[in-house]
Amino acid sequence: MTEKIRNFCIIAHIDHGKSTLADRLLHLTGTVSDRDTTEQILDSMDLEREKGVTIKASAVRMNYTAGDGSAYELNLIDTPGHVDFGYEVSRALNACEGAVLVVDASQGIEAQTLANLYQALEADLVIIPVINKIDLITARPDEVAEDIGSLLGVPPAEVIRVSAKDGTNVAAVLEAIVRKVPPPKGDANLPLRALIFDSHYDSYKGVIAYIRVVEGKVTADEAIRMIATGVDVKPIEVGTFAPMMKPAAGLAAGEVGYIATGLKSVHEARVGDTVTSAARPAPHPLPGYRHPKPMVFAGIYPSEAEDYQNLREALDKLQLNDASLTFEPETSQALGFGFRAGFLGLFHMEIIQERLEREYDLSMVFTAPTVAYEVLMHDGTVTVVNSPADLPDEGLIAEIREPWMTIEIITPTDYYGPIMELVTRRRGIYKQQEYPAPHRVQLDYEIPLSEIIVDFFDELKSRTRGYASLDYQFLEYRMDELQKLEILVNGEPVDALATIVHEKEAYHKGQRFITKLKELIPRQLFDVAIQASAGGRIISRANVKATRKDVLAKCYGGDISRKKKLLEKQKKGKKRLKMVGNVEIPQEAFMAVLSLEED
Amino acid sequence: MIYSLYLHVPFCKHRCAYCDFNTYAGQEALIPDYVDALVREIESVAHSAPEQLAVHTIFFGGGTPSLLTSKQFEQIFRALRGHFDLSDLETSLEANPGTVSLDTLRDLRSLGFNRISFGVQSFHANELRQLERIHDPFDVFDAVTWARRAGFENLNLDLIFGLPQQSLDRWSATVKRAVGLAPEHLSLYALTVEHGTPFGRWAARGLLPVPDADAAAEMYEWAGDFLSASGYEQYEISNWAKPGFQCEHNLQTWRNQPYLGFGAGAHGYAAGVRYSNVLRIKTYIERLTNPESRTVNIEFPFSPATVNRLPSTVRSEMQETMMLGLRLTSEGVSAADFAARFGVPVTDVFGKEIDELLGLGLLEWVLPPSPAFGRGAGGEGIIRLTKRARLLGNQVFIRFVD
Repeated sequence: MTEKIRNFCIIAHIDHGKSTLADRLLHLTGTVSDRDTTEQILDSMDLEREKGVTIKASAVRMNYTAGDGSAYELNLIDTPGHVDFGYEVSRALNACEGAVLVVDASQGIEAQTLANLYQALEADLVIIPVINKIDLITARPDEVAEDIGSLLGVPPAEVIRVSAKDGTNVAAVLEAIVRKVPPPKGDANLPLRALIFDSHYDSYKGVIAYIRVVEGKVTADEAIRMIATGVDVKPIEVGTFAPMMKPAAGLAAGEVGYIATGLKSVHEARVGDTVTSAARPAPHPLPGYRHPKPMVFAGIYPSEAEDYQNLREALDKLQLNDASLTFEPETSQALGFGFRAGFLGLFHMEIIQERLEREYDLSMVFTAPTVAYEVLMHDGTVTVVNSPADLPDEGLIAEIREPWMTIEIITPTDYYGPIMELVTRRRGIYKQQEYPAPHRVQLDYEIPLSEIIVDFFDELKSRTRGYASLDYQFLEYRMDELQKLEILVNGEPVDALATIVHEKEAYHKGQRFITKLKELIPRQLFDVAIQASAGGRIISRANVKATRKDVLAKCYGGDISRKKKLLEKQKKGKKRLKMVGNVEIPQEAFMAVLSLEED
Repeated sequence: MIYSLYLHVPFCKHRCAYCDFNTYAGQEALIPDYVDALVREIESVAHSAPEQLAVHTIFFGGGTPSLLTSKQFEQIFRALRGHFDLSDLETSLEANPGTVSLDTLRDLRSLGFNRISFGVQSFHANELRQLERIHDPFDVFDAVTWARRAGFENLNLDLIFGLPQQSLDRWSATVKRAVGLAPEHLSLYALTVEHGTPFGRWAARGLLPVPDADAAAEMYEWAGDFLSASGYEQYEISNWAKPGFQCEHNLQTWRNQPYLGFGAGAHGYAAGVRYSNVLRIKTYIERLTNPESRTVNIEFPFSPATVNRLPSTVRSEMQETMMLGLRLTSEGVSAADFAARFGVPVTDVFGKEIDELLGLGLLEWVLPPSPAFGRGAGGEGIIRLTKRARLLGNQVFIRFVD
């Protein structure tokens, strides 16, 4: 049965043409016709298409009659393309036997290519190397084929050269998948074990779990159990993606498809969990389940207090589809009622912010993102602090630990120096280097997460003219000399402006922060003193002088309506400011700490 | 109810670089037709009025009203006298100092004008050139001298401060020269760089080094002190006068009393509606010439040229009474007048706003000078801007709008 099934994914660095290649495969196999496709079928969210990044995994079944005359069932499992979603990538890879590795013919191998490749190798996948975009003038396929050949230990001639854009040689990729990727193994008579590699929420059918059946079979008639969450449920429907959801009698070992669970939240059917039979459960789950852990935290506050409930509902809805988004109520003296939300990374946070604005039409204040600190108290207890304002009194703290990451940067060797300078300036520690290809260096560092969540990637790109690429992973918590940098406005600390910094940087950051705030805070009816304080000392101060003149001159020929409109507009602008005590602070101020690095 | 009349003359020899008023250069050939149209509009509005209206001020603004000939003024005045009850009139004319002569001023005076307002703006030739004014400082001396000789006893000079590269010294020189000419009235306006003017375009390109708001505030405060030491009383944010010479026409607007607007782009406020006329001169003339549009039955205070109508609500009338009345730095808004007009004390409607502004030091209550004044249903006294708030008016006014 499973002899004619091939489960594979496509791995690539952003922009190397993964989605275009996937589209081309769908067309070639007749899975979709030209007419009913919008561009890039797998990236179904608008945001994905705009950012050119797959945010969520997806799967599609193709029927293909190969050169040997047999009909095959090809399951393409798409993987998220951003390093924030590394765990989702690993689950998707585990649902496959093979991976098509796509490398851009002019860009060559990049950090994510390697990171994903290593993950694929770890998952024991057969790799089919492909060079894409050979139609570009800047393409250098021979060189890139050499690099890939030496990386994988295969003759460069085996690397398939295609242009997904114009379709050149794409059929060869399908043939290679059939020939090289092994059919799935797995006994259909064992108790059911299926891996959830993605899920989404459907308002009619509840949570749709995307599964790869590893052993046994699943039908809509038999109750299933999620091993990690312990939820039992009778499926509403079982089926395959063709590419839209298409009900089927059942799915057996080796097959890829979906279970419409009827569950109300993706938290009950989590990515990485194992589906088994409720009546005849498997003794062990599949290996590798991890509870996704947010790494970056930020306060989200409605601009208008009355939007609090709407914001809560929007976050609830987003969470239905996004098990890695966390949030809990938080109160700020400055910003009122809001939420402290946790994200996988800054990119994930940006996506949530944009979706709240676009899909729910909410106007919000996001506070500067922060990491979660571990605070060891003198009494021996450890608390996790994910909001600088919550940092306990200095006298109670024995030590503060912050998350450290390992990062891999792959870059043309020319940019070695600027990168080294950037990373060490941000407290990074050099570990080792490798040369995966000629003129390419891979630099490994350890660096505090707090140093890379803010504009690190942009800096890296600008110092290397866009050539460097970055991959990162959590390493461990480490103690360091950290302290709270507080901002006082007219003598009162503003909780939402607090941040945690390294002692050595407190002075510099405090000064820059004050300079920035002085630019951002509009002149008020009275002088406003802004101060930065760290370790109980004021380290910087500035004065926003009271405004002296704010009045409209002569109105033209008795045109009172125009004058009134101008006043109404001014009043509206004033409403967008946040009242902190009696001082009006613009929303940008709460993110200002992010842009202190510019020189 | 006593009315004011505003007549707009949208012609200029040259457009000043900062001006965003409804005025046009190079269309002077249309003046005769325009005057005919004005007369028709006056007839039309007066005709639909419920009764013959009593009028106490007439104001010709522009543009450059002094471009009209005395014959043309005579034609307009004939229409006005024929349709309104004119008595005890203040009749003002805006004039460009570069467009008048002793003879024309004599004619204007004998036509009935008893107040003249010269757009002086500055006494520095280079500043006037930058503003693209068509007159020079000497024209001003001549114009004032001739106006006095022609019998004008109520004379205003307009000045602008906060000009590009203007220093406090240069500004004070302008103010001193203006005071030296002993006008009865002075208007000091802060330069506003308006979108769509040459100044707006230059500023957008960074080519207009205007003094910052603090420097402009210095100029304003210096001038206020100097004028008060020279015998002028400030009665509005931008206006000073010798005792008894306040501009009655402008007071009408600030007291939120009715005025009729005639001419292209003119604004009016009457019968509970704010309205305005079509902007373009040709369209204005067409609308008043076309027999079809003229025969349409039009309700007071509109005319065939009316294009915008914004009916007031009680709420908006209250808001405007505050936002306009508080511009009057001395008389402010009288609690008794407010209560008499709206049947509810001002503190019931705007108590929260007033308290907040009192707390911020931007408003003050002043008790009436005599007990006979203002002890009405709504309490007593007047509410007005504090001295400091005269330059922060918007911070006050925005609290009275939505």
